[in-house]
Amino acid sequence: MNWKKFRTGFLLFLAVAGPGIITANVDNDAGGILTYSQAGAQYGYALLWTMIPTTIALIVVQEMCARMGAVTGKGLSDLIREEYGLRITFVMMFLLVVCNFGNVVCEFAGVAESLQLFDVSKYASVPVVAVFVWAMVVKGNYKTVEKLFLLASFFYITYIIAGVMAHPDWRLTMVRLVTTPPKSDFVGNEYIQTYVYDVIGVVGTTIAPWMQFYLQSSIVEKGVGPKQYKASRLDVIVGCIFTDVVAVFIIVACAATLYVNGIRDIKSASDAALALKPLAGQWAFILFSFGLLNASVFAASILPLSTAYTVCEGLGFESGVDKKFSEAPFFYWLYTGLIVAGALVVLIPNFPLIKVILFSQVLNGILLPFILIFMLMLINKHDLMGEHVNTKMFNLVAWTTVVVMNVLTLVLVYSYIRPKQ
Amino acid sequence: MESIIALSELLGSPVVDANGGIRGRVREAVINRQEDPQRISGFLVKSRRGMRMLPPSRVHVVPGGGVMIRNDHPPEEWAEPVNSADDLHLDRDLLDQQIIDVNGRKVVRVNDVDLKLETVGNISNIRINEVDVGPRGAVRRLLKGLVPRGTIRTLVEKLAIKSIPFEFVNMIEVDPARRVRLKIQHDRLNDIHPAELADILEDLGSAQREAVFETLDEETAAETIEEIEDPKLQQSLMESLEHDHAADIVEEMDPDAAADLLAGLDSYHSVQILEEMEQAEREEVQELLEFDKNTAAGHMTTDYIAVPPDATCRTAIDALQKYEGGVETIGTVYVVGKDETLVGAVPLSKIAMSVPDEPLKPLMMDVLITCRMNSKEKDFAELFDKYNLTSLPVVDDKGKLAGIITADDVIGMLRDRV
Repeated sequence: MNWKKFRTGFLLFLAVAGPGIITANVDNDAGGILTYSQAGAQYGYALLWTMIPTTIALIVVQEMCARMGAVTGKGLSDLIREEYGLRITFVMMFLLVVCNFGNVVCEFAGVAESLQLFDVSKYASVPVVAVFVWAMVVKGNYKTVEKLFLLASFFYITYIIAGVMAHPDWRLTMVRLVTTPPKSDFVGNEYIQTYVYDVIGVVGTTIAPWMQFYLQSSIVEKGVGPKQYKASRLDVIVGCIFTDVVAVFIIVACAATLYVNGIRDIKSASDAALALKPLAGQWAFILFSFGLLNASVFAASILPLSTAYTVCEGLGFESGVDKKFSEAPFFYWLYTGLIVAGALVVLIPNFPLIKVILFSQVLNGILLPFILIFMLMLINKHDLMGEHVNTKMFNLVAWTTVVVMNVLTLVLVYSYIRPKQ
Repeated sequence: MESIIALSELLGSPVVDANGGIRGRVREAVINRQEDPQRISGFLVKSRRGMRMLPPSRVHVVPGGGVMIRNDHPPEEWAEPVNSADDLHLDRDLLDQQIIDVNGRKVVRVNDVDLKLETVGNISNIRINEVDVGPRGAVRRLLKGLVPRGTIRTLVEKLAIKSIPFEFVNMIEVDPARRVRLKIQHDRLNDIHPAELADILEDLGSAQREAVFETLDEETAAETIEEIEDPKLQQSLMESLEHDHAADIVEEMDPDAAADLLAGLDSYHSVQILEEMEQAEREEVQELLEFDKNTAAGHMTTDYIAVPPDATCRTAIDALQKYEGGVETIGTVYVVGKDETLVGAVPLSKIAMSVPDEPLKPLMMDVLITCRMNSKEKDFAELFDKYNLTSLPVVDDKGKLAGIITADDVIGMLRDRV
């Protein structure tokens, strides 16, 4: 490829970059970080083999959303409404609001936790962050907000640095990334059940229902058409790979320190940060905690906004931050309500936070199969996608991914609600 | 007898024979647009023998809610459905789709369709009355089949009506070949203010957007494209058009905006469009394309009214009457000497208050504010603020009038920065 061609290509990439990178990164939110930390502390390097298949699954699913957005110029909830009617859309939107509310609560809990590490009371940190998040979107415009989001995506690099500071075994990391897990993980493993659930947990945290809606809408908002689509696909792929690289570093940071020193029981992401302190040093602790704060604030900004957009699009309410409060009341009330209620729940003393989080995870899991199947049906509609429908080969990969993801997700849901021995 | 029924009540309602046995269920209401654009010409009915087409006869409202269709012919005699590309299928093409509310000037989604039913003896006449975009239709459809019909009816009566008479609806349909057509009952789109049209276009999906844009007349299209704020959207709309149509639109645009637009297109499209343009307009735009976007020259338009130094008010008014440029450029008449050297400027208001034979020279502004072609944005914006200008002449090194900058352009420029 010659220089000029490369340069034009690169400029085009910069022009459409954003939605893919942002969506994939938000996926590493407070909940994601906890899952990866647990995986590293509990199993050391042993779960790294899940990362490459997970990345592929993520790319396959996200690419379809990006393609649908670019070709139709419509959001996913728009398409579901137009093709499958009001009732299905309504039920889906209702479930999405409930489970995204749970996610918002998680993010504010992450804010509280990470700032408590620096001795900031949650009664100060959570309200301040809630107001900041609300004002940023309502008072800012799409372009500046997107730049802030991209900056937040960049800050995930703190996890990579923290990972390096933990001095992991690089050779073992590489080997465990590319080889299939040894037989002994499954055969004769007396904790096989927990092991399987933990594997599924790591895979299942990767693809969430809201991401599909958010990615497709922001592709549309960005004005990406079929012509710019190739650059947009690169955006999605780069985003997914970066996200999972960050995940790998979180796992190895915990593997090289907590696992090696026998600290297996991690209840929250801040536990992991605290445990890192004596083992990897003050800086690793600060980077890890800052990463958690960044991730939580980032996701807390995007989730309520994405929910409000998705629901309004699907149900036909006026939406958009460029509209006034009086022009799009439902949009703004939903957005504000999610933030206010999400922040308040975290501040209520003795609130059964864990139950809310679990409940939203279960709902996430129930909703996801439906969304993935709708996506596959939509993207194969010729009147909608024209020449951009899935190829046979891609359909094979996509259906396999979706079936595997759905089975794993349902098992995960079962693991949450199964009676504890 | 006349009554209002909802499309959602009609869909799924039973077709019964003389004995009350159910022979099929309504799946779709079809309008043959050539016959009558508002009258339902038939139902697609799902029977045990597959999909059949029935005329809309003997439709009855069942007491307590719901609709029933009586048909005494045995299903074997029902006609096979005929597919015509011009037919409008209400469930497929209208329900849940985005439409343009021409009166409300925005894009809305259809929740239900209100039909007016008149039955005289065996003949039923069903016409589209209004399109429901509010809570009534939504609640009716959400609860259908879950709650008794009567209850739904009473509940729905309590909700606010939000509906659009069908003649104010512009529907956009994408057919399987991905050709999009705009189905317009009455063409009112061109009466909507271009700024509102731009908002409407931004709310639509790409195929629909292009279809709507294509139907606008050139003048409206030109003004609308100037009102669209996202350059990427402008470009994709222009590139979706045939080059000669695009050229006609660009000719109607303010040369300054036209140059900015063409500069953003990829070179293949901009060259093609320029080639299709009339020579005079093309040269103007090409000249502007050479300038740096961030200087006075990049912001100026070459549309302005200029008269010679010996002109009278009558000459100015004559020039004004022949003038074809935008309204934002007519506030001031410029007086130019030999070689188009700028001599002075006369506000239109002064001309309006004078007798026709009065010479222009004494009416000229005492101080002539100008800027150079390479003036920076910040500098000429400051002039607008300081001297309360509505337009500012731009002169070249030799004092020749090159173009003018208008206040609306400066406002747009400043808004882009915040």
